[in-house]
Amino acid sequence: MAAEADNAKPTFLSPPQEGKQPIVSLRGITKRFPGVIALDHIDLDIYPGTVHALLGENGAGKSTLVKVLYGIYTPDEGEIIINGKPTRLTSPAEAINMGIVMVSQSPQIIDRLTVAENIILGLKKYKYFVPVTKVYKTIREESKKVGIKIEPGIEVWRLSYTQKQLVEILRAILLGAKVLLLDEAITYLPIEEKQRFYKFIRKFADEGGTVVLITHKIYEAMDVADKITVLRRGKVAGHLDRKEATIEKIRKLMFGERSAEITYERLPTATPEDKTILEVKDLWVMGDFGGYAVQDVSLEVKKGEVLGIAGVAGNGQKELIQAIMRLRPVVKGRIIYNGEDITRKSTYYLRVNGVGYIPDLPAKYGVSIENTILENIAVLPVYSRGIIDWNKLRELTLKLIKEFEIKTPSPDTPVKFLSGGNIMKVLVARELTVATNLLVAYNPTRALDEATAIKVRKIIKDKVLKDKVSAIIASEDLDEIFQISDRIAVMNSGKIVGVFPADKAKREEIEHLMVM
Amino acid sequence: MVIVRRVKPLPYWIIPIIALLAGIAVSMIILYILAGASPAAVFSAIAYGFTRPGVIAKIFIALTIVGIALLVSFKGSIWNIGGEGQITFGMMAAAWVALFTMLPYINPGLAQASMIILAMIAGGFWALLAALPRAYLGLDEVPVTLIMNYIAYYIVDLLVYGPWRGKSTYNYPRTDTIPSQAMFPQIPGTTMTWDGLFLLIITFIGVWYLLRNTSIGLRIKILGNNPNLLRSSGINVPLTIILALTISGLIAGSVGALYLGGDVYHIGYPIESQTANYGYTGILVAWLSMLELIAVPLAAYIVSALYEAGIKYQTLVGGNLGGMLASGTSAIVDIFIGSILLLYTILITFSEYKIKIIIER
Repeated sequence: MAAEADNAKPTFLSPPQEGKQPIVSLRGITKRFPGVIALDHIDLDIYPGTVHALLGENGAGKSTLVKVLYGIYTPDEGEIIINGKPTRLTSPAEAINMGIVMVSQSPQIIDRLTVAENIILGLKKYKYFVPVTKVYKTIREESKKVGIKIEPGIEVWRLSYTQKQLVEILRAILLGAKVLLLDEAITYLPIEEKQRFYKFIRKFADEGGTVVLITHKIYEAMDVADKITVLRRGKVAGHLDRKEATIEKIRKLMFGERSAEITYERLPTATPEDKTILEVKDLWVMGDFGGYAVQDVSLEVKKGEVLGIAGVAGNGQKELIQAIMRLRPVVKGRIIYNGEDITRKSTYYLRVNGVGYIPDLPAKYGVSIENTILENIAVLPVYSRGIIDWNKLRELTLKLIKEFEIKTPSPDTPVKFLSGGNIMKVLVARELTVATNLLVAYNPTRALDEATAIKVRKIIKDKVLKDKVSAIIASEDLDEIFQISDRIAVMNSGKIVGVFPADKAKREEIEHLMVM
Repeated sequence: MVIVRRVKPLPYWIIPIIALLAGIAVSMIILYILAGASPAAVFSAIAYGFTRPGVIAKIFIALTIVGIALLVSFKGSIWNIGGEGQITFGMMAAAWVALFTMLPYINPGLAQASMIILAMIAGGFWALLAALPRAYLGLDEVPVTLIMNYIAYYIVDLLVYGPWRGKSTYNYPRTDTIPSQAMFPQIPGTTMTWDGLFLLIITFIGVWYLLRNTSIGLRIKILGNNPNLLRSSGINVPLTIILALTISGLIAGSVGALYLGGDVYHIGYPIESQTANYGYTGILVAWLSMLELIAVPLAAYIVSALYEAGIKYQTLVGGNLGGMLASGTSAIVDIFIGSILLLYTILITFSEYKIKIIIER
């Protein structure tokens, strides 16, 4: 994919915008948190009619900068200039009034309401009594204009992640957005959907709109941006024009000397033993809203191999993983772990018998952000039964902090004070330590920047190779699947539609099966 | 003017202290406007309350133990409003041992220990009944525990009016006074009992250890923040909920035995108009402590001093206000506690947010 295609032509490119007045300028923006400077004198000009990408590794200050732009944080120092006028943004409502609207990675819409209801919630021009048909008409017209298809009467929970993001964008446009802040809003979309979004973004910019694209994926910026600003450790590492940007240049700016470590070569293939560690037989599992999310799935993971499950989000991977972890009831079929039928056993059984688990959305399911790093590690039943040996656990935590380079003042720091990438590291470190037999993971690196993600994959694979641990890893990121897996199973509409040895698998074939 | 989230929350003790001082000031104003009470007299009553540890000891011990009990469940975001019912049930169990067994006559020490232990079991049982539907059906524990307070009152009323009615009570509907062997021995010069002091120390150390060094304590703390993590770690979430609420009820139940054996020595009828309301006042104590165990005795001391101040004020002023103060809990105590709690609820916002005044250039 684009990640390796260094000097590939940008997909779309708008004419240069020289000589215009910037729509948003930042001058010397500084924001401090206890013990860290999140933003250190940031200067930035964003011009109307451009797509401006903000790139940076985890903890570089991207999220903080967006929050400053959207009025969630007020900077300690510096000035925000909008349309030539110094402005103080103290709430998102004010930012929206100025035409700045954010769409974040997790949809902020209400599941139980319809698309139309969600959209009119934020709109001032609709007062208390509005005929629904009129709203429907507006939504249909507007969505046609931006080239997307949305049925206004449908309840949001029926929509896929992509469709929800489309609703968010549509709402932003109806709010009168002149500057769209996309905070990792398209990072987690499947490839084809991404292409459609790129088209929309381009069109929006060509018609005079401005897009600020915040991402840690370099190819996203290369695909669609006109200008790229790279942040590193709270400072601007460099401003680039798309025309002069290459992947190497950006990586140097983003990661410094660490950029040399980035490679998408396949990690060494494991030689599994003949023993089966996990076997899934004719499994049927229900989805959240009725209907079978997993249909007649059979799988096998041998001792010391990585089985990757490729698939577009929402094709039953989540439900399959949860059923294996015994967090979701099995309707039909059997799950056998290490020779033991666990179909009716509890999560506890797996957790005390050498199974590590990295769930999707780590802040929601994998850690408790109000608790300290130490407590988040101690909670696992293998570490705390009855009386807790804090000294031993503190030692272990300090070891993990060092080994995984978790940036934290101490093991007693609440997890909420860590950056997204470091939270993920706490989770991965904890789970790899307990996974003495099997690691079950869903999107284990999606919140991480390239360099860290690759490092985590290497650590996982090392563990598989050295300790003969098995792993089943579902991921929406095909690069990840190819890099880490020994065998690849493709999941589509709740079924396994093909299993391939990773060294012989063809990317096009797998992509085709994913969307078939 | 803008409201900004603080980067670092204020130290936890600042807000309770401001709320306390502001609440006392507000109470003074209310008393002055409504009853013409001179602030100086109110102040001297408060000063009296705060400087008589021996006098307030009894209330202090009860409120500290209830505060700790509620803290255990509050830490797990399980809102036990049923301390009052658990105390009432504990009182009932203790009364049974004292009045209807031979234990006090055989071995007074054993009798008193059994009163406390049975009271704990009864309180724990009453909490367990609310915990089960919370854990397995997701039924909100707040209305359930609250309603169960009244059920507990009426069960005890039924007993006291019927089978438990005393023989030497001049036909008043109340139980007999418990035998002197079952009365907890008082510490000379104070209003507290040895049993109470002992129970306080045990409870404090026990809960400190539970929350700090045991897996149950850790799980309760995580339950309060993110039950999803417990689930994905393979920990039984319903069981953790049951433990949090039941342990809370166990501890609250013990206060029932203290109240009977060290204070009132009988159960009156109807009990709901004669209770000391420790179960409800304990909520204030737990809140003022900001759910920090070390701060619970401090909060309990403050609240019990104000309790005493209200009663003292009655004797200082009498007259007009005397009527207001006739009921079991005095109106002045309620004004103090209500004002503080209200101000606390408002001011707590400022521990996480601050107001900035920005002058436009």
